Amino acid sequence: MKVVRDLVAAFSMKSEFAARRNKLYRIAYSWCHDPALADDLVQETIYKALKNASRLRDVKTMDSWLYRILYNCWQDYLRVKGRNVEFVEMHDEDQSGQADNYQQSQIVKRVRSSVEKLPLPLREVVTLADFAGFSYAQIAEITEVPIGTVMSRLFRARKSLKEQLLEFGSEDISEFKLRRIK
Amino acid sequence: MMNINDITEDKLNLFIDEQLDSDEMNFIHEAMLDDKELRERVCQLKAVRELIGYAYSEVPPSRHVNTGQKRSNTYAGRAVAASVLLVVGVVLGWSTYEYSPNAIQAISAENTFQYVANHVKAEHGTRKIILHIDSSDLKVVNSALNEADQLLATYRKANAPIELDIITNKSGINILRPGMSPYIDRIKELIDNNEAVAVYACDRSVAKALKKEGMAIELMPGVTKDKSARELIPERLKKGWVYIKA
Repeated sequence: MKVVRDLVAAFSMKSEFAARRNKLYRIAYSWCHDPALADDLVQETIYKALKNASRLRDVKTMDSWLYRILYNCWQDYLRVKGRNVEFVEMHDEDQSGQADNYQQSQIVKRVRSSVEKLPLPLREVVTLADFAGFSYAQIAEITEVPIGTVMSRLFRARKSLKEQLLEFGSEDISEFKLRRIK
Repeated sequence: MMNINDITEDKLNLFIDEQLDSDEMNFIHEAMLDDKELRERVCQLKAVRELIGYAYSEVPPSRHVNTGQKRSNTYAGRAVAASVLLVVGVVLGWSTYEYSPNAIQAISAENTFQYVANHVKAEHGTRKIILHIDSSDLKVVNSALNEADQLLATYRKANAPIELDIITNKSGINILRPGMSPYIDRIKELIDNNEAVAVYACDRSVAKALKKEGMAIELMPGVTKDKSARELIPERLKKGWVYIKA
């Protein structure tokens, strides 16, 4: 009976992880801006999560547990490659559903480019908060830093992004105005 | 006790993330009603937050995502599409507000940030928006009603649900007075054609007008006047409604 229970539990766990794969991938992508690397990081995360599923004591904490594994995989990668590794956005011209509209794609590119300019610790925290929607406490748990550090990184990241996006406005205003008039 | 000088940038970050205690949250909500600059600071921060979410809502596909799965969320797709123009508005708003506040007819700077906060999240359910009118100035009212029309049209096009509460106070209640307001037909049309639209007149402002004019204040049918704007607005803000000041 125990074997059957374990099998059912493993199957259910696998489904839970699979359901979260897409969001894990998008967070990984927001950190590295490289689809292949993001994919590898998520693969490794799911593999490690399945291997260590028994360590997950409370299913309610599955999200932060999974993202902590993902974060650790990402840190391992950076340790091997060096934290100063440069990431270049790989623009996929055939991204259906996203770049149908010139203005939309410009905004997306600009925001991503602004995120890319942030120091990595700031980038990690701002995407965990503003994209994944984690609380300060959860981010502190995922990134293993004090909550005060999370807050300070998040505020600095938003301040920097606000400044960069303001510049974007003044650069492109005339073009957008023309497009609106049409 | 918190005062207006305590509202630092750090506090505002905590405010938009709802990490302050309820007294501090209420204090900032109240302060926002009277302080345009504060509203803009909050809106800018919210816009940054929403733009991050927006920028990564769709990314180059993973090798493991099949096409069917990627295209299954059509509602989210429509909502994102609906947000496009409004997200662009952030850029317009930020850059035009300083030197030409009236340059953009449809979307004002401070409102734009709210639009973003509102529209980018459109896939998560009904958008709830307060449009606050506290003036009977023709320009202000025209612009507010245009905004209402635009919001409703955008959401209709995106097939996304919306609730729009138009709350009037001070001289803004005059736009709801038959025989006095040139907007009666237009507002009636808004109410009649949109179940999602509700119009409120501040009971305190109505009482003040009654005292001042010494005669009954008649309001058009379909207008609710059982509470003050000071009650109506904060109680919605606490529930996550988006606030737009005309």
